[in-house]
Amino acid sequence: MTETAEQKALTREQLLSAYRMMRAIREFEERVHAEFATGEIPGFVHLYAGEEASAAGVCSHLDDRDTIASTHRGHGHCIAKGVDIGEMMAEIYGRKTGSCHGKGGSMHIADLSKGMLGANGIVGGGPPLICGTALAAKIKGTGGVGVAFFGDGASNQGTTLESMNLAAVWNLPAIFVAENNGYAETTSSTWSVASDNIADRAAAFGMPGVIVDGFDFFAVHEAAGEAIARAREGGGPTLLEMKFTRYFGHFEGDQQTYRAGEVQHARAKLDCLKRFAARATETGELTRSDLDAVDAEVAGMIDRAVTDAKAAPPPVEADLLTDVYVRY
Amino acid sequence: MGDAIVGVVANPLSGRDIRRLTARASVFPTAEKANMIQRMLTAFHAVGVHRVLLSTDLGGISAAVFRAIGRRRAQDGGWPEVEFLDGQPIRQTAQDTLDAVRRMVTAGARVIVCLGGDGTARVTASAAGDVPMLALSTGTNNAFPAVREATIAGLAAGLVATGAVPADGVVTRAKMLEARVGDRAETALIDVAVSTQRHVGARAVWDPATLTQLFCAFAEPDVIGLSSILGQLSPVARHEPYGVTARLAPQAPAQVLAPIAPGLVMLVGVAEIGRMHPGSVHAVDARAGVIAVDGERELTFEPGERPTVRLRPDGPRCVDVPAVLAASARLGLLRRPSHGPAWY
Repeated sequence: MTETAEQKALTREQLLSAYRMMRAIREFEERVHAEFATGEIPGFVHLYAGEEASAAGVCSHLDDRDTIASTHRGHGHCIAKGVDIGEMMAEIYGRKTGSCHGKGGSMHIADLSKGMLGANGIVGGGPPLICGTALAAKIKGTGGVGVAFFGDGASNQGTTLESMNLAAVWNLPAIFVAENNGYAETTSSTWSVASDNIADRAAAFGMPGVIVDGFDFFAVHEAAGEAIARAREGGGPTLLEMKFTRYFGHFEGDQQTYRAGEVQHARAKLDCLKRFAARATETGELTRSDLDAVDAEVAGMIDRAVTDAKAAPPPVEADLLTDVYVRY
Repeated sequence: MGDAIVGVVANPLSGRDIRRLTARASVFPTAEKANMIQRMLTAFHAVGVHRVLLSTDLGGISAAVFRAIGRRRAQDGGWPEVEFLDGQPIRQTAQDTLDAVRRMVTAGARVIVCLGGDGTARVTASAAGDVPMLALSTGTNNAFPAVREATIAGLAAGLVATGAVPADGVVTRAKMLEARVGDRAETALIDVAVSTQRHVGARAVWDPATLTQLFCAFAEPDVIGLSSILGQLSPVARHEPYGVTARLAPQAPAQVLAPIAPGLVMLVGVAEIGRMHPGSVHAVDARAGVIAVDGERELTFEPGERPTVRLRPDGPRCVDVPAVLAASARLGLLRRPSHGPAWY
């Protein structure tokens, strides 16, 4: 019998890596929030702050065999799957050194070498992609899984529901991670999601559906661990619903007149980083100075990413047609 | 009849946790929870309950009942007045259940019906005080709440709330367990388990290899959950005044197959089975770990904290549904005068 996720205690290195991942996402997003206000960043950005435990709790189980598909709110997923932070920042600034050579921007950061199929401007665009990669993994017998992150808005899209059906019918190693932050842009999910809980829909596809406290890294890590292990062993797809709040607006500039109070409450009482730090130091698994060292290291890394991005050149006219056509 | 008020608290998150994944546990749809409440409203009205206090939630249960009230036609028959307990922030945590139950107690509810699993019943019991509760199963692990038709439960709750059936003999006090770590305490209605896991994580316990000690207020042989481990080795009924405890270890001499959760029948090693007497304090031996109450990890403890567990005789007062309806039959409470010739 394989060890269950419940039984498997996290090692010190795994705990530090998880904290570093979540701290890097938070620091990245807080910094983009500040830098966007200066007007230097082109296009739109949708920030993931508050939701870090989801990306980190899921992706800390993944390796090179695995692929993920992301959303318009994709920075956290990119970082958790190992996309280079300097290249991400450069991409957001529209620089030639960016992961897509500055031609994609925030909503199209992709790095296939890392199994990151891309942030996605199409709501509900990710789930069909991972049905493809999960099918490939199944046929090739790699043991890999495909993970699609999507929001509560995308949970109502036909593409998402079709993908869940297909994944169930083909018994694919696919994990559907519904990140329910309460709002599809400005529309409350309690109004727009007919079943109220997205996880409830899994039953209709004959797959397990689980609600997870998305602010709690340990809860996400356990649930994702079980789902991913099950998928790797041929057990088929799972739907995980993370419930949490995003700390910033739908996009930078959103006035957020549709909500009040919940962000302050979440930041003060539910925050994934605070809870992780409190718990890991309480048990003695990590010390405050371990965490402080990570904080300092991450702050330096994000600083460098911003400085380098600002100094990097933009694409030139000659780059217009590169990476556009593919020869089969 | 005075104030025949019944409180109904429904947990929108019951039946949704990781056990859907680890054990194929059942999914209890929101729509069915709302339907159960509506069937209860019909039953409440039939026996003279005139006011119902209903918890509010973001899971769609109270919203569905609210819509149903608006769409109800005259020929559908009467329902009691329903007061929705809104106006307080909804956190989507157990705090919502606590808040609702406290408001029901303050507002003079005569009976509180709770819809959920063992976790919901546990939280309801902790706030219900001396108000009788009736726990209906809509959750995962259901050792405490009954799987029962809501209409019947509604009749029983109503008959007790109106005083038509006196509480004597049909409302019984349950035992409970109290786990204490320093100034933190949690109660359990069925079992307290000690795990060497360090984190609360996904809450549910589905791997007996992590458990070192088990305390049961009752351990009935036909009940699902961790108490089933002792239910097969040293059964204790709900009404008996004592409880039972044991040490657990994979290599322990006594081995038993136990249905520790829906869909999980696991081999568990058991040693040193002993009785728990009301009031006596039992020490937790593990240096550090987490304490699960009624199958869900809740209380973490660190070296030096030395948690304790004790059996308390003063658990919640519970409505015995079969006893209420038997009393009703005896007293002829649901009989009505005949309009035509007598048939018997």
